[in-house]
Amino acid sequence: MLKNILLVLLLLSLSAQCTRKNEAPSGELFSYLDANVPNLDPIHSTNKYSSTVTQSIFEGLYHYHYFKRPLEIEPLLAEALPEISKDGLNYTVRLKKGVYFQDDKAFPKGKGTEVTAEDFIYSWKRLADPKNKGQGWWMLDDKIVGLNEWRELRKKGKADYSTPVEGLKAIDPYTLRITLKQRSYQFLHILASPPTVVVAQEVVENYGDQIGNHPVGTGPYALVQWVRNSKIELSKNENYHKSFFPKEGNQDSNNKGDLEDAGKLLPLSDKVTIRIMTERQPLWLSFLKGKIDHGVIPKDNNDQILENNKIRKEYAQKGISIHPQDRPDVLYVGINMEDPVLGKHVNLRKAMNAAINRDLLIEKLYSGRGIKAQGPIPPSIVGYNENYKSPNNYDLKNAKSLMAEAGFPDGKGLPEFTLDLPNSDTWSKQFGEFLKDQWGKIGVKIKLATNTWPQFDKKLKTKQVTLFPNAWMADYPDSENFLQLFYSKNISPGPNSLNFKNEDFDRMFERFLTLPPGNERYDLTQEMVKLINEHSPALFTLHRSFRLPYHGWLKNYNEYPIIYDYLKYLRVDEEVKKELIKKL
Amino acid sequence: MISAHRLKNDLLKSPPALISLVLLIVYIVIVVLTAFGVVATDFATTQMENSYAPPSLHHFFGTDFFGRDVLDRAMQGTKIAFLVGFFSASIATLIGVSLGALGGYFGGWVDDFVVWLYTTLESIPYILLISAFAFALGQGLTNLYIALGLTGWVKLCRLIRSEFLKQKNLDYVQAAQAMGVGHFSKMFRHIFPNVAHLALIQFTLSFVFAIKAEVILSFLGLGVEPGTPSWGMMISDARVELTRGVWWNLLGATTFMFFLILSVNLLTDHLRSSLDPQSKSTNMNL
Amino acid sequence: MNSRSFPIHYCIKRILYVIPILFGVTLITFIIFNVAGGDPAFEQAGRNATQEQIESIRKELGLDRPLVWQYLHFVKQTLSFSWGNSWSTSQNINQMFLKGVGPSLCLTLPSFIISIGLSILLALYTTFMGSRKPIVDQSISSLCLALMSVSFLVYIICFQYFFAYYLGLFEINGWSFDWTERWSYLILPWIISIFVTLGPNILIFRSAFLNEVNQDYVRTARSKGVSQFHVYFRHILQNSLVPIITIVMLQVPYLLTGSLLLEAFFGIPGLGGVLIQAIQNADFPVVKAFTVMGSLAYIFINLFTDLLYIVADPRIELK
Repeated sequence: MLKNILLVLLLLSLSAQCTRKNEAPSGELFSYLDANVPNLDPIHSTNKYSSTVTQSIFEGLYHYHYFKRPLEIEPLLAEALPEISKDGLNYTVRLKKGVYFQDDKAFPKGKGTEVTAEDFIYSWKRLADPKNKGQGWWMLDDKIVGLNEWRELRKKGKADYSTPVEGLKAIDPYTLRITLKQRSYQFLHILASPPTVVVAQEVVENYGDQIGNHPVGTGPYALVQWVRNSKIELSKNENYHKSFFPKEGNQDSNNKGDLEDAGKLLPLSDKVTIRIMTERQPLWLSFLKGKIDHGVIPKDNNDQILENNKIRKEYAQKGISIHPQDRPDVLYVGINMEDPVLGKHVNLRKAMNAAINRDLLIEKLYSGRGIKAQGPIPPSIVGYNENYKSPNNYDLKNAKSLMAEAGFPDGKGLPEFTLDLPNSDTWSKQFGEFLKDQWGKIGVKIKLATNTWPQFDKKLKTKQVTLFPNAWMADYPDSENFLQLFYSKNISPGPNSLNFKNEDFDRMFERFLTLPPGNERYDLTQEMVKLINEHSPALFTLHRSFRLPYHGWLKNYNEYPIIYDYLKYLRVDEEVKKELIKKL
Repeated sequence: MISAHRLKNDLLKSPPALISLVLLIVYIVIVVLTAFGVVATDFATTQMENSYAPPSLHHFFGTDFFGRDVLDRAMQGTKIAFLVGFFSASIATLIGVSLGALGGYFGGWVDDFVVWLYTTLESIPYILLISAFAFALGQGLTNLYIALGLTGWVKLCRLIRSEFLKQKNLDYVQAAQAMGVGHFSKMFRHIFPNVAHLALIQFTLSFVFAIKAEVILSFLGLGVEPGTPSWGMMISDARVELTRGVWWNLLGATTFMFFLILSVNLLTDHLRSSLDPQSKSTNMNL
Repeated sequence: MNSRSFPIHYCIKRILYVIPILFGVTLITFIIFNVAGGDPAFEQAGRNATQEQIESIRKELGLDRPLVWQYLHFVKQTLSFSWGNSWSTSQNINQMFLKGVGPSLCLTLPSFIISIGLSILLALYTTFMGSRKPIVDQSISSLCLALMSVSFLVYIICFQYFFAYYLGLFEINGWSFDWTERWSYLILPWIISIFVTLGPNILIFRSAFLNEVNQDYVRTARSKGVSQFHVYFRHILQNSLVPIITIVMLQVPYLLTGSLLLEAFFGIPGLGGVLIQAIQNADFPVVKAFTVMGSLAYIFINLFTDLLYIVADPRIELK
């Protein structure tokens, strides 16, 4: 008896293996993340690392077109762009029909249910629920009528998920009506952002506090395995709703062959393995050996593969290409405006600003991969003015005379300031020493302190820093996201870590929020940038531009920050890979 | 009992120990000269255009990222290593000897407390303990001495305690007691000289240990302030430099560290074989 | 004391002593981490945090409670072995521990066994040679000291660069859950680990053996014409059993915690790596739990060793 059972089992397993072999060899994608992902709950998805994974598993109403620049919003789970009432307050969104959640044991019979307007309302309440401490809550904060009130009631235990919110209504299962408190030109971007995706109540309730380890959405990929600090494996969602590779690209898409796969069903790969590698060197070597399909060049290896920002011949022959990526970010050295000395002396701040040789900084510490910043707004964002030159650019002579004007000739009478660094790696230390050296030339003495990220973050939010390097990466492509860093209502623990308070700026910012995209908004942006530079609370250094290497077998690679659902467009050409991998 | 005469005689008979002693003296000279600003004065002068210059006659160990002379920085590092080694070992020895003496001598609840304290500290994985202390105290040289000192006294304390337990019942202590000598005087005038060699050996071991620990702590971001030319900083920075072909920063710091630690190790070994043949003290490794 | 009867009284006393030690460990761990580290509430609130959010997170984590309450809570967790979830990854801490133990042991156990075996042999050899050609003994000891004069970090950096990167003999970094592939990631860390521990181990065993060499029975055995080889490998080794056990057992608890540095450099998902990350993320429940578990391992292995002595050598003096 037992023998027979064993025999049957053996046969079964053999046949299973056979069928697996008979399937066409489908592409497996090897991607990477260079930081650890703590959590895959989309309500905490506010950085590139978790968003890359959550946006492949979850989906929201809208997303960005994969090729078009400047970024263009298009529907994802919605049928079309929302119908917006004349006063800009009412958004009516029709949902696609026949979109199902991925199968999971949390659902009845393990089958994913259909997505309805109620699911969105539930998901957004969940983002607002104070018990969940969603990091992405600020996106909806003070935007939707009744949602903040619901949050308050919820905090007191007087509301649950069945308590209605006035501004969120399901007119029918496929129609959602959102009512805003005031007109917002950013709201569409918010509906395309990672924290506002749809989740299923059954799943959330089933997994309780372990929800961050069990992501289940409507997206093109489902989570198969997640080995902390090591890898994340995704596989194609077999029930994925019909979604197609874009048929349009940007101007040069046809030359680059971007649209080869136009009109094909997404996702293009059956399996994705995301390797987590936090150390730069192993990541680089893995890329060179073809263990990951695309990678990143460590600062110190820049010259090995690039020459004048172009790929070297020997690497081009191996099929490696470079994808240039100008990032919508700004790097700056912040000054805590509440510091008794630095906050009071605008000329001191300007002197320190003018003492930083940004060309040298970019060349030495960023291997030339950056654009000198003239203000907070990066080149790819509307509001950037390429003709504008900051008055605070490098000028040592000017810096020295500003020091004298501030009453500290050659730094006489100045205390030693502390520059807090968010990290203790070699690069951060070099960055700190660089500034120490630059400022030393005008007599400003600083002391360096390295921190772990939580220590740094705490210091930042409790105003315990004096000088600190910081980077701001766009949450969505709108200059508002950068200008809000200087708004007085956003001071620590909010994003205005500079604690910059200026009534003129506040007035302009508030007016800016009411303006639709256009010339008036653009001109006002210019004035605001000018005002910031005159007060110099932040010493803008650069906007990064990456040169991302990828192998010849990887098709459709067009990674861009903000667009995090890119894995579904990627495809590996196995034939090409077989050939090219021999050359590595 | 430490006999200077015997030590000298033993030393002259052992060539490795003698060479080590000479080396150690050379190091001390370097430390004194750097401390008074006679040599290695260029350790902080940056010259970005001279970044990562390979070794040459002008820069014997090349230059670092900021174009600073690696040899000068390694010499400054010697000074820092001595400071770290000396102060950490002193704090550890002071605590170890006093607690060990108190426990062993008085016995009773004092002893129970001392034993409890060191058994507890010993039970916590060392690397965690030291990281935790360094983390709690924050960056900087002084904090580093304290962290290393506060965590490094356990072995010595154990040794001194058990020696005191034995010695306090010996005739000479009983005789002193009969003469009405006070506790303090008995402990430190009469008994301590008989166990001082253990403290001395453990001191040198702690000295070496602290210098090595500084390297690991620097790697973990828990050491001295960034920009300080310590060997630990130089070594942990070198890990990203190697792949771009910059090996001299690592070599400079490692060479200086190697000869210092080797000479102290050899001297300790020699001290041990002539003072503590049963070798109750053991090396600590990190 | 009666040397043959099993000292039950001592055993009970020894076992009960675990309680005050555990109390000390929890107290020290608690003080260090609650006084020291960053406050995770700020990080968890995200980059657009509000004061209200931070407060509510602190409340949720129990950080607003009095320290005494927090300490008692920690003791309760320790006693019940339920540490709850990690603050940064919301994984169950016991599971994190169990997941990390495997890789850590894969790294430490083989290299530990090889290193101990190798160093016992070499130490026997060097003590053996010591009586005939002192120069051999001296050079081996000096070589050990020289090996110990280079920082662990330097060994890792150089070995990884030279053997894995430059020569390409081993994998640079990584981990596989498949045993057939896993060893290729482990060989280099093993080699480094053996290389680093060999020096101090040889010296320690050597001094243990030297103590025995000078004993009367060795001389007697020699005078009776027992072969040198026999004396060393039989008598000395056997009689050094107690110091050998001591030395070996002292190192056993560290097998569990793994090697912080090796795991970080070679991407081994063991406990050391988890711990570094937890420290850097101010993930105190994880750090505290791991510290206490590491200490527990140490305490119980020590207890076990002490009881083992009684079996191994009834002459042992109990204090």
